[in-house]
Amino acid sequence: MKPIRTYNDRMHRQGRIFMVIGLSVMLMVPFVIWLASGVGPDFNKLAISVLTLSLLYLPGGIIEVITYAPFLGTGATYLAFITGNLVNLKIPCVINASGLVKTEIGTDENEVVATLSVAASTITTVIIMTLGILLLLPLKPILQSPILQPAFNWVVSALFGALGYKYFLRNPKLIIAPLVFVVILAIVASSFITANIAIVIVLAAIVSVIAGKIMHVKKVI
Amino acid sequence: MLLAITDVNLVKEAWWMYLLGAFVTGFIILGSLFFARQAYLQSKILGMKPEIIQKAVVSSVTFSILPSIGIFIGVITMSGLLGIPLPWIRLSVVGALHYELMAASVAAEGITVLSLTTQNFVTIAFAMTISIIWGGLFALFFLKKYQTKVLVKATSDKNGGFGKILFDAVFIGMILAYFGDALAKIFKYETRVIVDGAYVMDSLGHYVTENHPTFVPIIVFGVSLLAMAGFDLLVKKGKLKWLENFQLALSMLVGMTVAVLLGLGGIY
Repeated sequence: MKPIRTYNDRMHRQGRIFMVIGLSVMLMVPFVIWLASGVGPDFNKLAISVLTLSLLYLPGGIIEVITYAPFLGTGATYLAFITGNLVNLKIPCVINASGLVKTEIGTDENEVVATLSVAASTITTVIIMTLGILLLLPLKPILQSPILQPAFNWVVSALFGALGYKYFLRNPKLIIAPLVFVVILAIVASSFITANIAIVIVLAAIVSVIAGKIMHVKKVI
Repeated sequence: MLLAITDVNLVKEAWWMYLLGAFVTGFIILGSLFFARQAYLQSKILGMKPEIIQKAVVSSVTFSILPSIGIFIGVITMSGLLGIPLPWIRLSVVGALHYELMAASVAAEGITVLSLTTQNFVTIAFAMTISIIWGGLFALFFLKKYQTKVLVKATSDKNGGFGKILFDAVFIGMILAYFGDALAKIFKYETRVIVDGAYVMDSLGHYVTENHPTFVPIIVFGVSLLAMAGFDLLVKKGKLKWLENFQLALSMLVGMTVAVLLGLGGIY
């Protein structure tokens, strides 16, 4: 008898198929440009560029999956790793939705909520991008106006400030160690923090988890 | 034999580039709808209330609007060098503005909008696409193994309930990293100079930077946090339940408005 596939198994299977098609669609783009223009890439430059960028983004990509997959669950991880904008959009979006409907990470219900959240967020982004392209002429001067520029320069600060409130309120003891860590880092290594936010996220998360584990063992939380 | 299009302007704004953009957009929408449908059907099996589904979708849509406008501004930023369609495609799939700008500068070192050739453009398109696929490839081959070997154990009851604390701790670390980033900008905030949609490099191959220390991000962070507290109070004490789906987006809007007001007062 064939074993019954669980929802999670199905999501892995469909997610992998989607990932293969998605990566193919992504890779198809430069090949079509090559074919349609009749001009190929400069292979020497391309090899050097891919090597240089991959030195940064290969470990970065692996760390992203390890760090963010728990929040996203199965279906949403596959979807988000094709549609991008993880840290500045998809992860906070899922966390917000899960918090609002009160589902716990790792549960079947959270898998559903995370997938719906990433799908809704993705569709919103591509619709806004498409509308932006269609209305580019009237929109360009507005969006690039010096008056509005500060708003979009600091959209990530606004996002994490707003999101932080509920988390800080819910876990006041958990924030102490990583807060002290980032404040010290901001004062003594300000250039490092602003240039390496992905590394700082991982470091702050490690400090936070270690402090959480100690407090959990000592039954402080 | 096909003739090569050597005028890059005929390539980067070609109708077929827009067609490619529309195709990628269509694929992303279809993929998202497919996963959403699967999740919706599963919600029925799990007996989840329709209100929960509605809340998850509405809050995600409202939350995504402002950051998405920010992402679209990235398309405009990159369009100086690369035209509209390629940035549109790149920022619709996995990637981010800082990554794409870095890829453009590495693949077309020292190139400006006037000296950009079709070959540079094609090289940039390849470099941007290939160098960002690692996370996706890792998920493709190892996500299932990672889930069964690590995540299931981390969230199991045998762990004494630490699973919940673990994920909260990771997310708090992430939020505080951005708090630290906003705080660090008070002391030093070096931005890479962008000309025609790509980072500028000096003769030694280093990125040209400018330093503008600023209080604005930490103020925006604090104001958004306080606004969220205010909206939360309205939801809970003022019984404005409908506000719950929009409170995050509105709090961000309050923070961003403060940034605009500070800018009008000459504080950037």
